[in-house]
Amino acid sequence: MSTLELHGIRKSYGALETLKGIDLDLQNGEFLVLLGASGCGKSTLLNMISGLSEPTAGEIILDGRTLNGVHPKDRDIAMVFQSYALYPNLTVARNIGFGLEMRNVDLTTRKKAVAEAAEMLQISHLLDRKPGDLSGGQRQRVAIGRAMVRKPKLFLFDEPLSNLDAKLRMEMRSELKRLHQMLGVTVVYVTHDQIEAMTLATRIAVMNGGQIEQLGTPAEIYNRPTSRFVAEFMGAPPMNILPTSAVAGGLRLGTTKTVWRCHHPASEIVVGIRPEALKTKTIAGGLRLSGRVELIELTGPEQIVSLALDGASITASLPAEEELRLGQALDLYVDTERLSAFDAETGLRVEITSEHPKA
Amino acid sequence: MSTERLPLRVWLLMLPLLIVMLTVIGWPLIDTIRLSFSDARLVGTGGHFVGLHNFTKMLSNSYFHSAFFTTLKFSLWSVTLELVIGVLVALLLNQKFHGRTLLRALLILPWALPTVVNATLWRLIYNPEYGALNAALTQLGFLDSYRSWLGEPGTALTALIVADVWKNFPLVALIALAALQAIPNDIRAAAISDGANVWRRFRHVTLPYLLGPLMVALVLRTIEAFKVFDLIWIMTRGGPANSTRSLSILVYQEAFAFQRAGSGASLALMITLMITVLAVAYLFIMRRLAGEGR
Repeated sequence: MSTLELHGIRKSYGALETLKGIDLDLQNGEFLVLLGASGCGKSTLLNMISGLSEPTAGEIILDGRTLNGVHPKDRDIAMVFQSYALYPNLTVARNIGFGLEMRNVDLTTRKKAVAEAAEMLQISHLLDRKPGDLSGGQRQRVAIGRAMVRKPKLFLFDEPLSNLDAKLRMEMRSELKRLHQMLGVTVVYVTHDQIEAMTLATRIAVMNGGQIEQLGTPAEIYNRPTSRFVAEFMGAPPMNILPTSAVAGGLRLGTTKTVWRCHHPASEIVVGIRPEALKTKTIAGGLRLSGRVELIELTGPEQIVSLALDGASITASLPAEEELRLGQALDLYVDTERLSAFDAETGLRVEITSEHPKA
Repeated sequence: MSTERLPLRVWLLMLPLLIVMLTVIGWPLIDTIRLSFSDARLVGTGGHFVGLHNFTKMLSNSYFHSAFFTTLKFSLWSVTLELVIGVLVALLLNQKFHGRTLLRALLILPWALPTVVNATLWRLIYNPEYGALNAALTQLGFLDSYRSWLGEPGTALTALIVADVWKNFPLVALIALAALQAIPNDIRAAAISDGANVWRRFRHVTLPYLLGPLMVALVLRTIEAFKVFDLIWIMTRGGPANSTRSLSILVYQEAFAFQRAGSGASLALMITLMITVLAVAYLFIMRRLAGEGR
């Protein structure tokens, strides 16, 4: 069993505080993705778990053992780096076995462990080569092998797929997912790529300005973002955000005539609509938004349509089969269940219940 | 590299330089080769063809042997010490500490000094009457009375080696420092979490990155050390009792002091040959490094 607990982790460089109190509780076998833009503190947090730097305050506990002040090599944690960080003068086999070699594990055990890891990663045929002779994807497999072979309690990944091209990145993503399901290990994974986060994570921690903005399963993060930041960060094309004004019995979206009949608080509210929640077919009890087609971008399976409303513009992901022309009038419908509402001032999610006319 | 023939225009553009180079390098080289097969003296007639006599005489000459071994000893010791001290200083200057920038700037000073200045400086330090080394050693109690460091056959060569190391280790240190800064931080971090101790990190992470640049420094410094003339000429003139007479000093004495242009030329050619071997080694290493730079 490997559980990781972080209590009130802070990190300051002089007057600059890069981490402002991080609390996390990771169960055995979880795949946690730390997601955020560069500079949000996600890599700093990873380095502190690995022991490469120490937190200014707070406690790191792995399986009930406090790790503060413990040397990186004694933490039972393995890390995979974005740049692979392979030893250029050693063969693949020795690269993979390096951690064991440094721990004075005998040669036969080491060889067996290296062979096992290599087979799992399908790099057995590369064991005698030097890292310089390998492709990016192969190098990353070696780096993962080097982490695996130590059988650590916790795996750390620092943007491991960022240096790979798009096709290879998808392959390695599936590979990582497969390995995680097979080995059932506990993982903390840093990325700025939301697709990686969505596909790999059992839970995602969206970070912003040195804090965790939201912690939840990929579905929770995507469908019920707790703040406007998370809502806008996740999803491509991004969520549409429309200001509202209070009218009798509901909220008027932007300057349109559309009114969401609901109970709402007195504060100012903005409404978020995911592009794929917008449909061209009528939805019972849904809202209708009327506008004019301004731009059509075909991506293959779908088309991204920009719709000009009165004084605003929204983006919709529609099936590619729908026949649309530039400039035509178009009505789009959205289920009120799929609306997110945020306080305009604090940016926090506000739960609003729709008021359905009695049938 | 393209092996296509260069167009005439390119040759024409290079012609002035080619003429200058042929005049100042090509002709003297050919003339040296001609001289080396003659018994010509510095003044007087052109001399007669004597075949390989100059070479056979030199190769069996004890002066030549002792000068060769003096040069070898000087080169081996000074280059080895320069490499070791250079790498250690580079490792130190690669650490983070206050005043690092100032020290890095100061490092270049000895190397920037002209050899003449460096040699004069060390002659003052070694001075038997008022030298700083004598003063320091006596006052610290290591020495009973002042010694003539450059005047005793037992210490003169060592004193020269120290002066050479002081001047040239900064070059090695600068090359090594540049190489150290090229080591990715991630590899260091990976080695730390893999559990490698300081020595093993040096052996498996630092050294592989240092090796190529150090080989370049090694060959360059060896060629320079093998040709050493000015440092020795200013500090000891090859003495005392010829204990610091290097090959270059021997050539100078043979050709100009004893005015034997013929045998001087044959000596010069032999040194050129030895250095050519080193230069080829250098080119070989550079090509291998370029091949590995993937």
